[in-house]
Amino acid sequence: MRVRYWIIVMGLLATALPTQVFAHKESDAYVELRTDPHNSNQLQGQWDIALRDLDFAIGIDSNHDGAITWGEVRAHREAIERYVLPNLTIKGDGLTCNITPTGQMIDTHSDGAYDVILFNALCDKEVPDRLTLVYRLFEDIDPYHRGIITIYAHGQTADAVLGPKNPSTTLNLNKPNRWRQFKSFVIDGIWHIWTGPDHLLFILSLLLPSVLICRRRPRTPFDAGEWQSVDRFWPAALELIKVISGFTVSHSVTLTLSVLGYIDLPSRLVESGIALSVIVAAFNNIYPLFTRRAWLVAFAFGFIHGLGFASALAGLSLPPVAMAVSLGGFNVGVELGQESVVLPLIVMAFLVRDTRFYRVGILRIGSWIIIAIAAAWLYERVFDMLIPGLGFLTPA
Amino acid sequence: MRLKGVGLRITPMRRPLVLVALWLAATPCLATAETPYIPSRDDIVLQTVPSISDPRVRAMEALRAASSRNPQDMTIAVKLSMSYLDYGRDTGDARYLGRAAAVIAPWLRRSPAPIPVLLVRATILQSKHYFAEARAQLLAILKSDPDNAQAWLTLATTAQVQGDLNSARRACAHLLDSSDPVIPGACLSSLNAVNGHAADAYRVLTLLWPQAKAEPVPVQAWIQGILADTAKYMGNNAAADAHFRAALQLAPGDNFMLADYGDFLLADKRPQAALDLVKDYSQSDTSFLRQVYAETALGLPQARRDAAEMTRRFAALEKRGTRAYRREEAGFVLDIEHDPQRALALAQQNWTVQRAPKDMHVLLSAALAAGKPQAAQPVLDQLAKSHFEYPVVVALADKVRAALAPPPSPQPVRVGASSP
Repeated sequence: MRVRYWIIVMGLLATALPTQVFAHKESDAYVELRTDPHNSNQLQGQWDIALRDLDFAIGIDSNHDGAITWGEVRAHREAIERYVLPNLTIKGDGLTCNITPTGQMIDTHSDGAYDVILFNALCDKEVPDRLTLVYRLFEDIDPYHRGIITIYAHGQTADAVLGPKNPSTTLNLNKPNRWRQFKSFVIDGIWHIWTGPDHLLFILSLLLPSVLICRRRPRTPFDAGEWQSVDRFWPAALELIKVISGFTVSHSVTLTLSVLGYIDLPSRLVESGIALSVIVAAFNNIYPLFTRRAWLVAFAFGFIHGLGFASALAGLSLPPVAMAVSLGGFNVGVELGQESVVLPLIVMAFLVRDTRFYRVGILRIGSWIIIAIAAAWLYERVFDMLIPGLGFLTPA
Repeated sequence: MRLKGVGLRITPMRRPLVLVALWLAATPCLATAETPYIPSRDDIVLQTVPSISDPRVRAMEALRAASSRNPQDMTIAVKLSMSYLDYGRDTGDARYLGRAAAVIAPWLRRSPAPIPVLLVRATILQSKHYFAEARAQLLAILKSDPDNAQAWLTLATTAQVQGDLNSARRACAHLLDSSDPVIPGACLSSLNAVNGHAADAYRVLTLLWPQAKAEPVPVQAWIQGILADTAKYMGNNAAADAHFRAALQLAPGDNFMLADYGDFLLADKRPQAALDLVKDYSQSDTSFLRQVYAETALGLPQARRDAAEMTRRFAALEKRGTRAYRREEAGFVLDIEHDPQRALALAQQNWTVQRAPKDMHVLLSAALAAGKPQAAQPVLDQLAKSHFEYPVVVALADKVRAALAPPPSPQPVRVGASSP
């Protein structure tokens, strides 16, 4: 009877209230795995484990004062890694990837501070499409512990919640469809041109004189010089395509070098250079400096525009093949975006090339307007200031 | 899609965004931004854990040591698991449920498993809101040990949470055989309180109170808690307030009591008092939820930020599949996130698990707000059986009936921000 009464009272403490309410969730740990952009055989890992759990399991609070300090956590780093890391197995195509710790940090989750174990998992081969994970942390001391796993691979994410009752899972990291990836970057490239007024004005400046041939340069600011219409459409169109392609070749080079991290110029310099290139190209239509080989001008300025495009892809970090697909797609998209603007315009320009409207209104006055806009950009970019009312022309 | 060229140029349109970004960066919610960092000094305290200056912790540690010395001693294992459950309940730390389960796991694999071990298992299931599984386990225990008072009491409380008041009453009646009148009296009174006899229940509990003072402190706190709820159901808010305070004096910082009293203060339109009550316990999800309600009611500037934090906490619970907080989440989604359809879905899921007064409240409110009064029909049926008299719930039920009654008004009946 005495034992029985004791059990009633002890049990009552836990059960008496009809609905117990716990203050926070039970024990969770978080594992994040990412494919390493520089080593396709490797996954980079981060494992967050609650300090309360580690204290219960192996005792982190050395002086038993009820407060865990960073010094105590640091002192236990090796013990924690020895206790924790064997409880995660990562297998790719049947072969176990070797886990080595690389660092220790602290993270804060809703229910308190967590020890962060940074680690690398090195696999024999390239990280495969099918990864098997086996998770056994705390299985002997807390059956309700859960490992919440997130994998970021090939630009995709996969999730799993593992625990003592279901310790393993196989995740299918379906390799991304390269064609779909390529297409998405082509579309990005097209949009980049369509929504970038500075690139558009540069191309427009190159386009305007392509249906005319300069016979004599102007002598005074009010002199138009002498221009002769081209006879046939196709040679003019081909010449223009050559110009645009020269631009594409050079901007592809700097775009690629910049995204891969080989060139890193201050964006203020790059953007100012782009504005300057627009001024030069437009001025060339009023006082032709380069009448032949316009493609060379385009080619030369393409280098600086390529650095500008790179800002759209800043931070892109992918394994080599995916990187090549993405960069290639973006360049193709930029080219398509340019041609889609240029080709309809040159048809219209060809039709009205003989008119005074085109030669004065479009070529001369239009170029002056372009110079004015680009000069405003140049001023803004060099001095890092905004000109009120110019917002609608500011590249987004 | 193009990133900025020349430095960071802030166009007038973007200026508010930048201000928001700066404000976010300056707020302490960065603490939960979940970015790993390296603390700057070794003596920075990262986490408080149970300290051996606490006698409960010392007793727990002694039992843990004894258990690892004598792994074959079932009594020690049961004592240790119960001390974990007890400590977990006192501190609101749900981790102790798993720790208790791990201690009894080897004994559960035996066939037949010892009764005390099965009782601990039933208690854990009940604590994790696996009520149906807990009841099945308790009935199995009582089949082989029909005089197990502990099993009857746990069965009574579990059946009551599930709204099965008849089973709960039968279970309480089995306790009357014991010589102690306090526990069976409290058991039956807590049923009468939700069964249309709140005044009787209050009278009986008041009569029992002098004897209850001889019981362990947690039993006293439990009885004060029942007194508080009973007074609340009777509409006697002054008495309820006094009993809540008495209960919290007996069990300071008790997580359940903080939430229950907090809800009471919010329903009583005293958000400042509710905020003062829970604001020191913001690590507790349930206390923090009441803090968000209070801040919102007071129109405090941090309300929005804390509500976002609460959303993250619910997401973390959802990730691991915890079901114990669905009622709280339904109320939050309804009153703070203003998404009545999702709130209703949560309240309906919750209703399949538990059917206590607060579960009724949230399902009625969500059904009304979502314009689907018929979804609250199960609550009306439950109320018809139990004659529950809490004015707040009765008023909501009347609104639902009006919305359902012919001739129905074509528009859904709207309710204002209802308290949980």
